[in-house]
Amino acid sequence: MGRMTWVATVSIACLLGTATVARAADPGAEDPNNWPQYHRTSNAWRYSPLDQINKDNVGKLAVAWIAHGGDITMGIQETPLAIDGVIYSITSGDRVAALDGKTGRELWNYEPRLDPLTKKVLFAPYSRGVAVGHGMVFIGTVDGRGIGLDQKTGKQVWETQLTDFANCHGCNFTSPPVVAGDVLTFGSTAGELATQGKIFGVDAKTGKKLWEFNTIKDDPKSWPGESGKYGGGGAWMPGTYDADTGTVYYGTGNPGKDFIDSERAGDNLYTDSIVALDAKTGQLKWYRQEIKQDVWDYDSPYEVMLFKKDGKDLIVHMNKSGYVFVLDKNDGKIENIWPVSDVKNFVKDIDRKTGELIGRVELPVNQETLICPSTFGGRSWNAGAYNPKSGLWYNNVLDFCGYLKPVAQKDDPKDYGTGHTGSNDFGRLVLAPDGRKPGRLDARDPFTGERKWTYEMDVPGFASSLTTGGGLVFNGDPLGMLRAFDADTGKVLWSFNTGSGMRSGIISYAVDGEQYILVPSGWGSYAAILLPPLFPQLEKVPAASTLIAFKVVK
Amino acid sequence: MTRGLVTAAIAAILIGEAAHSEENVPNLRDPTVIAAGHDLFLAKQCAHCHGVDGTGGINLARRSLEAKGVFQSIADGREKSGLRMPAWREVLSDEEIWQATAYVLSISQHSK
Repeated sequence: MGRMTWVATVSIACLLGTATVARAADPGAEDPNNWPQYHRTSNAWRYSPLDQINKDNVGKLAVAWIAHGGDITMGIQETPLAIDGVIYSITSGDRVAALDGKTGRELWNYEPRLDPLTKKVLFAPYSRGVAVGHGMVFIGTVDGRGIGLDQKTGKQVWETQLTDFANCHGCNFTSPPVVAGDVLTFGSTAGELATQGKIFGVDAKTGKKLWEFNTIKDDPKSWPGESGKYGGGGAWMPGTYDADTGTVYYGTGNPGKDFIDSERAGDNLYTDSIVALDAKTGQLKWYRQEIKQDVWDYDSPYEVMLFKKDGKDLIVHMNKSGYVFVLDKNDGKIENIWPVSDVKNFVKDIDRKTGELIGRVELPVNQETLICPSTFGGRSWNAGAYNPKSGLWYNNVLDFCGYLKPVAQKDDPKDYGTGHTGSNDFGRLVLAPDGRKPGRLDARDPFTGERKWTYEMDVPGFASSLTTGGGLVFNGDPLGMLRAFDADTGKVLWSFNTGSGMRSGIISYAVDGEQYILVPSGWGSYAAILLPPLFPQLEKVPAASTLIAFKVVK
Repeated sequence: MTRGLVTAAIAAILIGEAAHSEENVPNLRDPTVIAAGHDLFLAKQCAHCHGVDGTGGINLARRSLEAKGVFQSIADGREKSGLRMPAWREVLSDEEIWQATAYVLSISQHSK
């Protein structure tokens, strides 16, 4: 802990008498004022120990400042970072900005000149965050570069082209790298792209590429014939770095073509898997495939959470199918598997001990098949949040389905705008057959799935949640409503209309003894395009790209 | 609608088609061109965002569209209201973009 950070922490304690005291078993609590990485801490909990804003005073939250993010194309999808009173933000077009955490005033900005091909590719021009370390701000760009910027000035220090952007169906980076000691790791998009998704290791100080890991295993049993050539996979969300073991854990994307498996009649490793890589070398330590030979688009790129429980080092990880895998951190051995929803029919179940898919539903070509959950998953990529005080994990559950119809499709990696999916569309969305509400915020035990409370919604949540030491959960919805819940009971304690929908990550930080809640608001992404037929309320949601900071009115 | 308005509407269409023909535009009402455009609409996954019948998330069926605007949107992409459509120039030939345009017009308010 730096001296200034320590002073600020003590200041909060003196002023309020409620400041969180760091606990060794609470990783990240040693730096409670900051949100220094994508999920705040390397356990990926999205938990801020700050407790100045709490159940008693959350009703007095008011806007402290508002900053505009710039281009609104595809909305604002980031989780900003907050370090020593400075906000680091990335918005559409990979525009990076540093803002004063007390006022929102822009300190510097940087906008890369993007390859014109970016206009043609599927996954652009949005980014979900930056990384900070070694005195630099790091980004992965939507044209496949890694870039390091001076943290104080925003001046470019280095750039490295990592993906073969023009020849990999436009594979690129839409999420931040992971600072894994002296190495940065970047996971590329793939999945729906006719390519082989990679994870790259780069020297953080120089940008020199050190290694790459191919998420498509070179194994004819896993990928018969030429099927692996465009097998997809990739790792399009940030991984988790475990400094204790020097391991970076990534969840990987789905195999291609998404909905047709006739040409890839193997297990299709390492798609839909967690891979544990040596951060320095990229060597595979172990893997755990969650969905074998996927045909439902159930990727695994969601947050890899780390826990210590009953003497065990555990991973808790949700697959897009909504099944949660509890694994031994050291070898990937299964401890438990549980579903976040009973709105599922793609399998009858998954074996709790072996991980075997039981009674899987196949997809006949040229026919529609109802599959639950939909291709949006049992939850979207937006992360949940775990609170060590309540012992609960908060997730935006999606309880709706889709009809999938595989059709024949030629491989063409130069057809940048067309997904390598084996379909004409991404599924016709429908409500669950039992007519239940399509979404809810759930509070569950992360190891057993036991539910403590739930909050049902007419339009499901598609933003990452935040939970705090003040006993609160903050959650934003696509209609623009930001709500603060009692973390223990689910009671709504406060709400605020942000003016646009949320598809981003809410954070908390403190500057000069004051705690802030920072909310990126600006509806966009493919969800904004695909959801309106099922949720007509979304047609009228205005686009935006806004950062709104809240604090308690004195 | 009065006869005068009908005449004016027909004249406008004829003028429009004459202008298009100067740019080697196919007959956008030719069923074979529309059918080719429909095939492209499905194969290139336009249905992903627009729905298989044009009534998807970005609903084309209830829009009033005109040929050059549709061509340009397909060719150069479109960014509006926070949403984005990829560009297809050089991925599709001009002829193919016109075919897709013909299909889009056939399901939009333009032809109704």
